[in-house]
Amino acid sequence: MTSQQASSKPDPPSPSASFYDLSDDEEGGYNTITHTSTTRGVKLLYSKSKVYVHPTPSAKDNIPGFIALVQQKPAPLSPDDRPNSSDSSGKRTNAASYLLAWVPEASLAQDELSAYVKVDLKDGESPPKQTYLVPPPPVATSFEESPVGPYSFSLPLSSIYSIHVRPPSLGWWYGSIVVNTRAGSSLPALFFHDSECESTILQKKKRARESFDPFGESGELFWGGDEVIRWLKRYVMVERSTAEPSIYLIDPSEEDRLGFGQGRKSLEGKHQTVNPDMKKPNQKNPPGPGMDPLTKALKETRWKILEQLSKVTTFTRRTAEDLANNKNIPPQVRRLIQNPEIQTLQDEFDSAKLYLARWAMTIAEQSEREKRQRIWTARDALDSEETSVGDFEILDMEAGKMTLADSKRRPVNLEEWESFFDSKGRLQVTVDEVKERIFHGGLDPEDGVRKEAWPFLLEVYGWDSTEEERHAYMNSKRDEYVQLKGAWWDRMIEGAATPEQEEWWKEQKSRIEKDVHRTDRHIPLFAGEDIPHPDPSSPFYSPDGPGTNVHLEQLKDMLLTYLEYDTPPSPTTSSAPHYQTRNPHPQNLGYVQGMSDLLSPLYAVFQDDAVAFWAFVAFMRRMSRNFVRSQVGMRAQLSTLDQLVQILDPKLYVHLQAADSTNFFFFFRMLLVWYKREFEWSDTLRLWESLWTDYYSSQFHLFIAVAILEKHRDVIMDHLRHFDEILKYINELSGTIELQEILFRAEGLFRRFEKTIEAVDRKNTFPEPSGGELRQRRPADDADGKNQDSSTSAIATGTGNPSSTAAGSSSTLRQGLPARPRQAPAQQAQKGKAKEVEKRAEQVVTPELRLLLSRKIITFDDEEADVAKPRASGLKD
Amino acid sequence: MSPRKKVLLKVIILGDSGVGKTSLMNQYVNKKFSTSYKATIGADFLTKEVTVDDRIVTLQLWDTAGQERFQSLGVAFYRGADCCVLVYDVNSAKSFETLDSWRDEFLIQASPRDPESFPFVVLGNKIDLGEERRMISQKRALAYCQQRGQMPYFETSAKESINVEQAFEVIARNALAQEESEEYGGDFSDPININLDQERDGCAC
Repeated sequence: MTSQQASSKPDPPSPSASFYDLSDDEEGGYNTITHTSTTRGVKLLYSKSKVYVHPTPSAKDNIPGFIALVQQKPAPLSPDDRPNSSDSSGKRTNAASYLLAWVPEASLAQDELSAYVKVDLKDGESPPKQTYLVPPPPVATSFEESPVGPYSFSLPLSSIYSIHVRPPSLGWWYGSIVVNTRAGSSLPALFFHDSECESTILQKKKRARESFDPFGESGELFWGGDEVIRWLKRYVMVERSTAEPSIYLIDPSEEDRLGFGQGRKSLEGKHQTVNPDMKKPNQKNPPGPGMDPLTKALKETRWKILEQLSKVTTFTRRTAEDLANNKNIPPQVRRLIQNPEIQTLQDEFDSAKLYLARWAMTIAEQSEREKRQRIWTARDALDSEETSVGDFEILDMEAGKMTLADSKRRPVNLEEWESFFDSKGRLQVTVDEVKERIFHGGLDPEDGVRKEAWPFLLEVYGWDSTEEERHAYMNSKRDEYVQLKGAWWDRMIEGAATPEQEEWWKEQKSRIEKDVHRTDRHIPLFAGEDIPHPDPSSPFYSPDGPGTNVHLEQLKDMLLTYLEYDTPPSPTTSSAPHYQTRNPHPQNLGYVQGMSDLLSPLYAVFQDDAVAFWAFVAFMRRMSRNFVRSQVGMRAQLSTLDQLVQILDPKLYVHLQAADSTNFFFFFRMLLVWYKREFEWSDTLRLWESLWTDYYSSQFHLFIAVAILEKHRDVIMDHLRHFDEILKYINELSGTIELQEILFRAEGLFRRFEKTIEAVDRKNTFPEPSGGELRQRRPADDADGKNQDSSTSAIATGTGNPSSTAAGSSSTLRQGLPARPRQAPAQQAQKGKAKEVEKRAEQVVTPELRLLLSRKIITFDDEEADVAKPRASGLKD
Repeated sequence: MSPRKKVLLKVIILGDSGVGKTSLMNQYVNKKFSTSYKATIGADFLTKEVTVDDRIVTLQLWDTAGQERFQSLGVAFYRGADCCVLVYDVNSAKSFETLDSWRDEFLIQASPRDPESFPFVVLGNKIDLGEERRMISQKRALAYCQQRGQMPYFETSAKESINVEQAFEVIARNALAQEESEEYGGDFSDPININLDQERDGCAC
């Protein structure tokens, strides 16, 4: 049916309508009318368009047609051929004169087509008042016999034994029905393409308008197949099998009822008896007619969708109101609950299905978590142990080991931070101890401790410095910042040495400007734009530039100052008495998108441009490899993720392979700006400070990626089969990820990974790599607290007895003084030796994977050797 | 009546950063404009179902980061494209001058069977900023498009929703024509005809 045809209203009939549209008050009189093309017409009672046969798996072979219920002249004229619902015997006698038919669109002449369309669009429950006669569809009991072409059929209702009904569901995009004849054959499945069927769309809309209820009579989402069952019910007995709820029996005998109706309840949903050759997409124990549990629940629930959703995953039930008020519920779901305009639901339902699956999971976990604050994490980690991964040995994974005392997960506040330092402002506990606390607890977001702690985490300050040293250091860095900033400022105003340079800097400036104005504008600090430019002498000043504020201007200045710092001095500028960069390794990155995202949280915390600038320089030491032209850092990390997923979750990996998704491109954004687009602002800050500790690994952010993937592995494996679907799904996780849980999973994954590598090494009877790159962690041997990471004992003992933990740490603390610098020269010296060991291990554990056990920051310089020359491109970047 | 199938058309939107790729896409699909889009990192897409000459097609519009160095990793989403939209900002000469590079970049990465006939559509965006800010005249842009195999050209404003609908209609039409001109090999590998969840058009994305 075309849209033009659909828009023509069937009622009242126009004078120019098809000659079949003969107005006829007498129900029984139709058979007297004859017309030219056929000797005898049948009365079209109901029809529905866009019902397809799918002869091959390829969508391009689908054949659109009409399903219809027609009435032929009954042999002995019954005095009342209108059905009488209370009279089942009447129905029985009618069954032979009513035919269920399917005809391909292509086989219909234009006037026939228009009759089918009109009946289809007829608004109302009963057959049209005026009679539409059509040529009788070819009567055939099996589709091979049909003269009109394969697949078309019409069957007297009396010869239909049952109809197998499969509503649309996650696995079955189109709902379908299969007619089983009394002779024992099954006709081809008819698929209802509801989204193309004008009448179904109208019926859905009408339902939504009238009753705010888009669901069908049985509480299921309304679809085209419902209509067919409704038609049939007017003329014959239709009974839903209790043994096979997807089977509707037509005029069942007592025997049928016994055999099929009530008889075999125990087998419910276990297997298909009628169409053994009909493969279901979801073969693992479907609970209903071809539906997965979620969809089934969705359909049964009507307005209690969410309440039921939590049941789906067998977690606690919560009322819809509770959920509606919960700010963690994604807006789309909240809209479903709060918005009385069901239209929205109807329209969004299809696309919402997948997301509902995800949210069901999230909601369930959330309520579970609220119920048992402490236990969930441990169990969760154990669950994730079981879900994914192979049969390699899992050590030390008992719940106890993973459950830290509350005191360890509390944020470090300013008071606790200050207690780490002595009167001279020198650290008096071990670095690892501080890092362990921050890794697990984070820093208090309110009391300003971040301002103090972040420069240490980013290694702007040495951990063994005194207050005085830090003060002096920052003073000199402030001067340096002012000089750097002055250099480009002057150049912008006086002009650069060459036109090329001039052009380059202008270009950089405009890129920075563009991005800063779209960076974190939802944060109050950066939101305002009513202030005219604070400094008309600034190179960024433009009378008709966009509204700005002083903080945005600071971001721009810092980013250009970073370029000044990062760009090698050009020989041609030597004449100008400009500041020469003291940066020993300028990388000449230019401004690259993502930089503004990395800078803005630093500035927001410090609110001091010089400190924020040097913090950014420090942060960029580990991030710059992602921004270089060759993208070497991104490539290396995506490839490491590939290996990591292979080793941690081979099943998922195979699925991703089949989905052509092992480029792991969907992690690109997460890796480039360290999850800033996935988490809320406050969570981002919390995550970054954990990552900066390098507590387990300098590459812990990769475990965050795997944790996110693992959390959604079931949805991905069950529902997503293509790269674009997976990319979209992962992109849309943004704003829905629970940080604490992901941190916890990532920790579990890291430990599992570590154990795997150890096990592999042991199997290969390697000599234990001695220290250096590979951190061995065997808590059992660590009882004496010597020669080991204090962090390990903190975790191992932290579970049962908090006081012993404290004692343990403080003893380590004294031993540890002065705190050992993280990149000890000894470590570098070991590097060669470790490399040798790695070489031998390569067959099993790649160097990339082994690097994940290292706490040493990977910088661009490390990877420079491997830099692939970027393909030449006309795009200047 | 000829049998009709639902078609997925893949459209790649390219152009310098900040020319309004994300905004155009959002204006077209969601009828929304926001000044607070973030710079696109990585890639994302939106879908929209439209009717082209009586056929229902699903447009899958791919939005990418506008900085060249990010393109090299994203080959995956170039493949199988049916149309490429080149966007520039009429107020930025630079963004116009790079159109050729974006075009070449696309042809290299996507390697369509017949590069000569592959459909491109050019959009000059941000015309709402006014004539005094404009750097590229319509005449110049038209001449350019004429030279490069008569690429259709539209001047648009994602902000004011000017010409967006019209442009994407042409994009959809050209993408459909491209899709139809390409012979696809038989996808009969799966003999079970009702194994719908294998089917490409069924996806919820």
